[in-house]
Amino acid sequence: MQSAPSLPPVSLLLRGAALLVVWWALTLGETSALGFGLGVTALVAWLSVRLFPPFGYRLQPLGLLSFLGYFLTRSVAAGLDVTRRLLSPALPVHPGEIILTLRLPEGSPRWLLANTLSLMPGTLSALLEGDQLTLHCLDTREPVEQDVRETERQVARVFGLSLDDIGRAVQ
Amino acid sequence: MIDSAMFAVQVVLLVLGCLFFAVGTLGLFRFSDTLTRIHALTKVDNLGLGFIVLALLPLAPSLAGGVKMVLIWAAALAASATSAHLIARAVHVRPEHSAVQEAADD
Repeated sequence: MQSAPSLPPVSLLLRGAALLVVWWALTLGETSALGFGLGVTALVAWLSVRLFPPFGYRLQPLGLLSFLGYFLTRSVAAGLDVTRRLLSPALPVHPGEIILTLRLPEGSPRWLLANTLSLMPGTLSALLEGDQLTLHCLDTREPVEQDVRETERQVARVFGLSLDDIGRAVQ
Repeated sequence: MIDSAMFAVQVVLLVLGCLFFAVGTLGLFRFSDTLTRIHALTKVDNLGLGFIVLALLPLAPSLAGGVKMVLIWAAALAASATSAHLIARAVHVRPEHSAVQEAADD
């Protein structure tokens, strides 16, 4: 299921609001900087809509939360996994590459998946061409593809996409 | 009592963070090729920075200060994922160049 494309004014407002929160944090809530911040965030929000027009995915708050939880636990697992291998005298790695066909549509969903996978245990996005993603794996004996598919499902939920009817969702 | 307990937790988190950074650097020496080294650097360093940010969060002067620290971590995550991908892609596109380069480095 794909949600209706958000209109430019709506994305302009949402992006502006998000940027304003960032500004507020960067200036440590300094009120005298707020006027300047409003100008800057308005300009940056306008630029971002010009450069990266909204393309029809709306972020799903629940999906985003679930993704964040998944991402945090898996990145801790990733760090511990590499640490364990590195500190083991035998250096148990079995590097190799796999090529996967992504089911996510082009644009932000694929981009988010490729970047996330670089921080997940044992995978590193090497090349993304169309829907073909080349992954460098730390250990090809692990069930890498299974993990990647789970991450893909999590990313799909962030954008409110379902991988089963993805064929229809792709323009 | 609560203060000293908090302080102890912070110290443990800081030490853990530094240890992870050290392990990430160890990866540069123990792993033999560029792509495997990137695995160590991105994943372990993110964990290290995460622990350090977590240790410093209670010291944040305000809510905005805390959000700023978390933003720093998020920016570092995004930067390391992106640069890891760019290096990996460069190695992938021109593997022979990187092999020569590595031989020169070793």
